[in-house]
Amino acid sequence: MINAISGDSDFIKEINNSKFTGFVHSTFNRTFNIKCFENGDLFTIACRKLDNGPNTLIVNADNMKSQKIEVNDPVRVEKNLLFIGEKLTISIDKVDLWESVLPPYPSNEEILKRNVIKMKEYLNVHGVGGGMKKSVLTKNPFEAEVSNMLEKRTILLLNELLNHRISTALPHAVSLVGLGPGLTPSGDDFLTGLFTIFNMKNSPFYPYRSFCEDVLKKARTLTNDISYMTLKKAANGKVRDSIIALLNSILVEDDQDLILSLNKLLNIGSSSGTDIAYGIVFGMEATIRAGGKVC
Amino acid sequence: MLVQALIKPNTYFDSVSLMSLSTKANQIEEVEQAIIAMGTEMNKEVMKNVGLLTPEVEVAGASDLIIVVKAATDELCETAFGKINDLFTKKNSGKKGTNDIKYSTISSAAGSNPEANLAIIAVNGAYAAREAKKALENDLHVMMFSDNVSIEDEIELKRFAHEKGLFMMGPDCGTAIIGNTALCFANAVRKGTIGIVGASGTGSQEVSVRIHEFGFGISQLIGTGGRDLKEEVGGIMMLDGIQALEDDEETKVIVVISKPPAPSVEEKVLAKMETCKKPVVVWFVGGNEEKITAAGAHFAKMSKEAALKAVLLAGADESKLNKRALNIPLIEEVRTKLTPEQKYVRGLFSGGTLADEAMHAAMEKFDNVYSNIQRNPEYRLKDRYTSQEHTFIDFGDDEYTQGKPHPMIDPSTRLERFVQEAKDPSVGAIVMDFVIGYGAHEDPVGAFLPAIIEAKQQAEQEGRHLEIIGYVLGTELDPQDYQEQIDKLLAAGVTHASSMQNAGLLAREFVVKGE
Amino acid sequence: MSRISDLFKSKPHVINVGIESFKDDLLQQGAEVIHLEWTPPGRGNPALIAALDKFESPERMEKIEAANRLAVERIINSQPVLIGYDQAINCVPGMTKTTILHAGPPITWDKMNGPMKGAVTGAIVFEGLAKDVEEAAKLAASGEITFSPCHEHNCVGSMAGVTSASMFMHIVENKTYGNIAYTNLSEQLAKILRMGANDQSVIDRLIWMRDVFGPILRDAMKLNQNGIDLRLMLSQALHMGDECHNRNVAGTTLLIQALTPYILQTDYTIEQKKEVFDFVASSDYFSGPTWMAMAKCALDAAHGIENSTIVTTMARNGVEFGIRVSGMPGNTWFTGPAQKVIGPMFAGYKPEDSGLDIGDSAITETYGFGGFAMATAPAIVALVGGTVEDAIGFSTRMKEITTTENSNITIPLLDFMGLPTGIDVRKVIQTGIMPVINTAIAHKDAGIGMIGAGITYPPVEAFEKALLALSENVQ
Repeated sequence: MINAISGDSDFIKEINNSKFTGFVHSTFNRTFNIKCFENGDLFTIACRKLDNGPNTLIVNADNMKSQKIEVNDPVRVEKNLLFIGEKLTISIDKVDLWESVLPPYPSNEEILKRNVIKMKEYLNVHGVGGGMKKSVLTKNPFEAEVSNMLEKRTILLLNELLNHRISTALPHAVSLVGLGPGLTPSGDDFLTGLFTIFNMKNSPFYPYRSFCEDVLKKARTLTNDISYMTLKKAANGKVRDSIIALLNSILVEDDQDLILSLNKLLNIGSSSGTDIAYGIVFGMEATIRAGGKVC
Repeated sequence: MLVQALIKPNTYFDSVSLMSLSTKANQIEEVEQAIIAMGTEMNKEVMKNVGLLTPEVEVAGASDLIIVVKAATDELCETAFGKINDLFTKKNSGKKGTNDIKYSTISSAAGSNPEANLAIIAVNGAYAAREAKKALENDLHVMMFSDNVSIEDEIELKRFAHEKGLFMMGPDCGTAIIGNTALCFANAVRKGTIGIVGASGTGSQEVSVRIHEFGFGISQLIGTGGRDLKEEVGGIMMLDGIQALEDDEETKVIVVISKPPAPSVEEKVLAKMETCKKPVVVWFVGGNEEKITAAGAHFAKMSKEAALKAVLLAGADESKLNKRALNIPLIEEVRTKLTPEQKYVRGLFSGGTLADEAMHAAMEKFDNVYSNIQRNPEYRLKDRYTSQEHTFIDFGDDEYTQGKPHPMIDPSTRLERFVQEAKDPSVGAIVMDFVIGYGAHEDPVGAFLPAIIEAKQQAEQEGRHLEIIGYVLGTELDPQDYQEQIDKLLAAGVTHASSMQNAGLLAREFVVKGE
Repeated sequence: MSRISDLFKSKPHVINVGIESFKDDLLQQGAEVIHLEWTPPGRGNPALIAALDKFESPERMEKIEAANRLAVERIINSQPVLIGYDQAINCVPGMTKTTILHAGPPITWDKMNGPMKGAVTGAIVFEGLAKDVEEAAKLAASGEITFSPCHEHNCVGSMAGVTSASMFMHIVENKTYGNIAYTNLSEQLAKILRMGANDQSVIDRLIWMRDVFGPILRDAMKLNQNGIDLRLMLSQALHMGDECHNRNVAGTTLLIQALTPYILQTDYTIEQKKEVFDFVASSDYFSGPTWMAMAKCALDAAHGIENSTIVTTMARNGVEFGIRVSGMPGNTWFTGPAQKVIGPMFAGYKPEDSGLDIGDSAITETYGFGGFAMATAPAIVALVGGTVEDAIGFSTRMKEITTTENSNITIPLLDFMGLPTGIDVRKVIQTGIMPVINTAIAHKDAGIGMIGAGITYPPVEAFEKALLALSENVQ
């Protein structure tokens, strides 16, 4: 039996209600996902090096390989214990509850403006290419084409958002879903970042956050289950801890803190962290430029 | 140029792995271009734009992993796919061996290896209880090879284990077979339907190899440690072991092996057998038949008999079994070779229960049977270096090991004693066990061979016949060569007994005078 | 009986303790086996085993675990920031004109070894309290000089650690918990006071450091309002191949890079500023003391937590090795004999020339870098006489005796494992694994200086004494 260290309070609630059943949907070195029968959602069990996130339980293990968990292993809850087949039992006795809480959009944008510029500069140097950031050296036409399409479509999206046309922005956002290599395609990661900004209270886009839901409705068949789940949560303002940490750093004047948070985000996936960060920068720039003028 | 695609439905790899696979795939010689990505609509659009869309890719779903290869010919595409598949499998099995990481405590090892389920504790007795407790706390079953653990600690550990639903085999437990894996000192036997719970290690080994020889197999062999059936311990592990085998679907017949338990414990164990839904064969070495039969269990007086009853209960056809009856003509022949002065049996054993069984066989015919393991103090050996009349020695006993490894590993003490006994003109027969299997000496017979040959020659020069009976405890599946051990004995003129039971009986019968 | 049926249904996955041949037999049968590197806990001493057992009663265990969690949390959350430089007399608590601070646990003049005596007499001359080292020795023996461990004054001192009133100190503030730590400035070369050298060149350098180097650093940092975040810089330096005890190439570059703009803005002459840069460039060690003060600052914040078994100090005075433990508040030292340092020597010196292990620099290992972070510094594996694999082994092995990993500071080579953090006295005694310490070797005689570098381990006695004292203390 291993102990869960921390986890999304909603997930813990499900376990406490003892109504959780499902099966293993997919397995990775440091995480595996469970598909829940009751609501069809994906839940993630992650080892302790990873950050908290929506529907995620962090357990006291260094990796998941040794558990030999396989896709389709049955999952059930009994007496507050989560059973993964006969292979693994997870106790939530000592779990710390975690909740995704986004900071509100600041009333004074000065610090924000400066930090967004710093972030962009940093991303230009340290970001991982292949997605939102063009990979300069690639000879792979697929990669090159992905980057081109991402660039074109995000420019179109930005244009609509800046011109206050939320409804016509929708098809451009949808055209990003599922675009790009990686488990979570770059376009999805970008949207996760963007959705996060939409969901910050007092953000000029906050009143229009149903935009995220509208994108989501079209996204179901356009991307894979795992990436869809992340988008679904982000559309409701629920994102992983490293994104929240970065937002908090963007709002204060502390360069070292900002770079530290940004670095943690960039470590996610291959280019995923970079793509999310671009989504955040993009969203922040759009809000700053749109100001209170969005309608 | 050809473009071919491979679709892996519902396959997820993390992005870092995908990127690295993709990079490696593009480095494969045959490959002009390779793409590994999820089959989303948008990605398909990209492939269309760059002219890599194939009909297979077109129908792929967003959760499918697509691999597209561009190469000069069909064959090259195939080769490339083969190599890409290798990359995938390598990625999967690329885990570092758990043996690479060193752990110093049970807690850290168990913490990092949640799949661990059993701890073997074989450290100095002074520290063993502590380690066993750690193991139990970490939800590990325990097999404790260590001895010299206090009875208080044993009781505490066994109670704790019982509460947690864990096995606490030992202290002083040398033999177990769990999930067809021999632990410490045990033999490689076939998997089967007979379960054994034994307080005696070599007794359990003996019964397990006999069952194997009869063509049957062992479901589980659970050790309890030698003191489990003492009054103070109360048979905690024995009772749990019987229960576990009763609950185990694979097990059809249960064999219980021990020295006769303390009366209060015997009562509990017999009560357990009375309610047990599966047939139980009991071999209490030197134990009482009536009580056992009254409890509805099957009584066995000796080891082979226990194995025989077990296989019959497990469905063996008696007419087809080779029971290996005693070789009566051989007994007659040996008796004629011995002089009237050659009256005594000397049994030199590495296995405690093997010594016990041979001793009890002798005690049925003779009164003057001495041993270091005699229960009656009158017949305890007065001096451990000097034999008296019929003498049976368990060299695994503390007073003989004296800090040396067990005689199954280190034959030196027993070997010296053999040389001494061989010179004694009052000795009619020397009987010895040679235990092979996991944990045991790699060539136990070989270690004795020169001494046996020399002793035989010397006796011949002195005009007497030296009868040596050897028994090899083992199976043809053991890591040592079973048949080779027997052949070596035969080549040296040793009488080979086919079982411990037969060895004990032969030794006794050889020196019976005037029947 | 589900655990039993689980066992019956699966192959045994064994943790083997003791006889190794059982492991081989199991492997031969295709079973999974982990063989423990086991040694008798507490070297088999029944009193120590009893103490370990005592800690394991559920109530005590809970208290200790909670206290240790708090201690490591304080170590990890501490954010030490370099906020300035000043003379010891102006900032170090309890400093007087006739006080000499030294490395390690308390020691009297008569018991000090060669290098420390050399440093003390040199410092007395430097302070103008005696005209030469002979007179200084007499003064030192006269009882007019107050000797006290650096550690008892919120300070650390590398090697002999000798710190006197007019020396310039780093001032490092813990932004999280508010405490401050101090250490003096690196003298850079091999023939230096802290290594026991005390001739005129050594004294002259100290004077220059007092009159030029120190004031420039002080005035430069006055211009830097925010201070320098040492934890962040340490983490960068480790990612650049330092372990920040014996290798400081990257850390020194980062530190001087951060200081340079402010140094340039001070009112000193170009020549003086150039002298400063040349001096810093003359040795990689410039940032060595800085990391020590950083570690001290974090560990002091974790000291004095009731029931905690976490080590907060490891320090040597050249004769004794002393540790302090969080749960034994104040200046309670547990000591054992200082050990030899094993490692390559400078040309012309032999192992028998070595002084015993000395200095407060083991504070870096107490925090989790230095020897604990060998895997970050493959370039200096020669010091441990081994391979990169050995270096990795040191870092993973230290996990066995520590409480957690410091996720703020990571080791890239080990899949970004955090620094092994929070040495637990219980675990040291339980496993017999001693903390590994990277360090320099000073000549055993006064007046010579550094003659090599290598690794060493604390004496087990210090930990044994601490464990026994803790077992009295934890109720």
